[in-house]
Amino acid sequence: MRNMKFRSMILYFVIFAFFAGLGYYIFEFAQNSKNWAFSPVNRHLSSDSLSGGKIFDIKGEILAQTINGKRMYHESSDVRNAVLHTVGDGSTLIPTSVQSRYNAELFGYNFITGFGAPEYFSSNQDVTLTLDSKICASVSKKFGNKKGTAVAYNYKTGEVICMVSLPTYDVNDRPDFTKDSDGKYDGVYLNRALSAAYTPGSVFKIFTTMVGIKCLPDAETRKYECKKIKIIDGEKVTCMQSHGKLDLKTAFSKSCDMAFCDIAVELGKEKMTSELEKFGFNSLQTFEGIELAKSTYDVNSASKAGLGWSGIGQYTDTLNPMYMLKIMGALANGGNLIEPFVVKSIAVSGTNDNQKFTNTSERNIISKIIADKMKEMMRFTMKNQYNDSLFGGIRMCAKTGTAEVGENKLPHGWMVGFSYDESFPIAFVVVVENGDFGIKSAGPIAGAMIKDIRNDFVKNK
Amino acid sequence: MKTMFSLFLYSIQIILPFMAILIAYCCFRALFRSLKPMHPLIVLLNRATGEKMPIMYWENSVGRDKHCDIVLNLPSVSRDHAVLYRRREGWFIADTNSKMGISVNGEKIENDEKVFIGDVINIGGVKLEICRADVLKLKNKGSGDNDYDYDTYSGGGLLTLITVFQMLSTLSVCFSSGDLDYKPVILSGIMLLFEWLVFIVTKYGFGRDNFEIEAIAMFLSGIGVINLCGVDINDAFTQLIAMAIGIIIFEVIVLIIKHADFSMKLRPYVAFFALTLLAANLIFGKVKNGSQNWIMIGGYSVQPSEFVKVAFIFLGASTLKGIQTTKNLTWFILFSAACMGALFLMGDFGTALIFLVTFILIAFMRSGSIRTVVLTCATAALGAAFIFNFKPYIVTRFSAWRHVWEHLNDIGYQQTRVLTYSASGGLLGLGIGKGYLKYIFAAPSDLVFGMLCEEWGTVLGIIVLLMIVFLAIYVRQAGIRSRSAFYTISSCCAAGMMTFQMIMNVFGVTDILPLTGVTLPFISLGGSSLVSVWALMAFIKASDERTYSRE
Repeated sequence: MRNMKFRSMILYFVIFAFFAGLGYYIFEFAQNSKNWAFSPVNRHLSSDSLSGGKIFDIKGEILAQTINGKRMYHESSDVRNAVLHTVGDGSTLIPTSVQSRYNAELFGYNFITGFGAPEYFSSNQDVTLTLDSKICASVSKKFGNKKGTAVAYNYKTGEVICMVSLPTYDVNDRPDFTKDSDGKYDGVYLNRALSAAYTPGSVFKIFTTMVGIKCLPDAETRKYECKKIKIIDGEKVTCMQSHGKLDLKTAFSKSCDMAFCDIAVELGKEKMTSELEKFGFNSLQTFEGIELAKSTYDVNSASKAGLGWSGIGQYTDTLNPMYMLKIMGALANGGNLIEPFVVKSIAVSGTNDNQKFTNTSERNIISKIIADKMKEMMRFTMKNQYNDSLFGGIRMCAKTGTAEVGENKLPHGWMVGFSYDESFPIAFVVVVENGDFGIKSAGPIAGAMIKDIRNDFVKNK
Repeated sequence: MKTMFSLFLYSIQIILPFMAILIAYCCFRALFRSLKPMHPLIVLLNRATGEKMPIMYWENSVGRDKHCDIVLNLPSVSRDHAVLYRRREGWFIADTNSKMGISVNGEKIENDEKVFIGDVINIGGVKLEICRADVLKLKNKGSGDNDYDYDTYSGGGLLTLITVFQMLSTLSVCFSSGDLDYKPVILSGIMLLFEWLVFIVTKYGFGRDNFEIEAIAMFLSGIGVINLCGVDINDAFTQLIAMAIGIIIFEVIVLIIKHADFSMKLRPYVAFFALTLLAANLIFGKVKNGSQNWIMIGGYSVQPSEFVKVAFIFLGASTLKGIQTTKNLTWFILFSAACMGALFLMGDFGTALIFLVTFILIAFMRSGSIRTVVLTCATAALGAAFIFNFKPYIVTRFSAWRHVWEHLNDIGYQQTRVLTYSASGGLLGLGIGKGYLKYIFAAPSDLVFGMLCEEWGTVLGIIVLLMIVFLAIYVRQAGIRSRSAFYTISSCCAAGMMTFQMIMNVFGVTDILPLTGVTLPFISLGGSSLVSVWALMAFIKASDERTYSRE
């Protein structure tokens, strides 16, 4: 019998296997229970026993609510399409959406009571956004069938007024993405403003200019020479045309590539990298706690010509639209950034028990001298290069970009900028994927968006 | 008023897991406290050396081998020479194919010989006198049968706690639709009456003091029955009938295996019965959910493989004498191969795997040979590779493993629903009968762990699992105290089988392991499964030394 004691130890293998599995399950439950509960197959989310909080836009339009147990979205399909990435679709497929991030508040979910807390304790809360859904809808439609993103925010208060991402879909009529063979819905769950990083093209010259002004004493006064083509160590760097000799301001407004190629090459890899990293390249940036796609500047293995191209926003540079919006806001505001945000308040339904999110704290990220110089250069560019009529006469500062993406595809078009007058404090970023020249593709969308915001702004005054 | 009532119902939701913890604690505290330190039962006095050898167990191997309970290190003694064992009638000595034989008081013995205090046994030239344990001058309480003065919980106390638990959960399920449904009350009432009847019969009829094993099994199968009330009251009734049959079969098996030696003689009949069942299954079997493991008897579908599980453990177990005299496992290996082969033909791979693991447990418990375990695993791996090679579609069934969210509506359908609804229930659950998982195919049987988590709460779900695994820990601790190796082997293997089946079920549906359609012991809908798990509990009951103490 004695050896039975030893032999029965074999049971511990089974017992140990159980505890290992149980531990793993508890770990997974703790990590993922919220994602599991908000999976698209959950019938509790559409049951009449579960009520969900409302989502309002800044004007009080109801973007999402639960009526008779059914989650209902805005009655206009244009609005539903435009705010999809901010509002969400009731599942956790769009993790950056408010319905995913605040699902616990909206649906009264927590891992202890699940959806089971009795009504007495349940605390569905309403979320109010800073978005203007009507403006979002009209901007979103302007993209046609192009992909991309457009964001605009008030650089004095931080409120994001417009944020759209394309492609999008109607939550009430979700297409079958598995049958999408031509890539029409590629990355449809991404909010491109937050979760995409694009080749920046010429909008990157804003950074190169700021680094140049800071590090080269004669950067603004010297003349840069452009003969359309320049050979550096046997490799070509090209410009759109032969600009001749020009100063930095003119080079910036005409978007002459040679000047910025020269600055990058002259400063060298290490200086360029260290200065750009001070702006926030290569490091984690956030928006309301959401990690943004990283904006990168990496010239470690670049040739000299590659380094030159990196100063023009090509090579391997990438830029995240929301991060760029923050830079625009800071430039407009004398180098001080007021962080943008989209959730204005969260309140228990039908009460004034408000949890307000406002943002008045400023953070200096660019020195005032450089920011002001940059502001003037961008104003000069707007006035002389693009014409104020694009924005209906509003005095704006702007820069376009046309980012070559290769593969015989049209370049990505960028337009970034902000209002010159602080009485109408708006900064914006527009990216149109494969949209052709920035002024041609992103320009009209930016123009329409700013005009819409301006009209609304005037009406409210 | 309505709010107050919903608050009251929710308070049940909070109380139930705490009560479950209390019940589990009381049951296992009583079980573990019954494991008092062991004392010598008798003493063997070596006439030549004067050495006193205490005899601790009900069955003791005697021989030259250092693994024997009584080691006699002389060349004239065989490796496994004899077995000295105790039965109700007294002590016996049996020759286990030794070279030199045994004589008692100078007379050579052929069969098992009853021995008394003062007798001298000659084992291969070593003369051993049987003495009372008190020659060791120890404070010894272990020799009598009536010394179970443990301050354990009374069975009545345990059953009272379980009664309260079952009444509260019945109340919860009665109001699951918002209005009162009285049918669960009737059903639960019948269940409670039956449980108390069993308690009274075993305590006053059979004179048994230990009730923990029954209490645990009643608590768990009660959860299963009440859980079904929230799905389909007819299924719940069927389940209750199965529970009653299970309890009766439990008591019958406890009675049959009361005499371990008699049980050994039953083995050919049990083997014949099991193989007949499997053959009948293969011939008359109905295909249901992809495997052909059902036969129809009088309007009820019965799963023969569930009963073969019990036979399997019965056949694998053996008294110490049986182990020492039959060194090879040939017949049992052939029987196991027949069972597993039949299960593969039926397409029931989950159960086949359970049999395989149980086979390993039995083989190791009997032989202690790691080589056997390794060989079995290698053979099984080869066999599996062979089968998957010829039936590659089996592999595709498992291909969703760890990727279930990419297969929401095909092979990951059940797992994603289990995870979604488990999380929806949170730690405390939504209320019995208020879940959505129950509408998913096979939810009350295969996916029942998800139902527990959704409706009863993850805390209660995990307590249920812990109670089954704690049974395994208990039988392992209690093992060598039992009245025969037959009970030690059968109880350890029964608990191991249940635990392994639970692992396959719970971690299969939660996508930690590949999904195989096996049931969760006690809880899953399924009469055959519930009856079989109660039958397995009989082995655990029999291994408890107290079970047969007053009969």
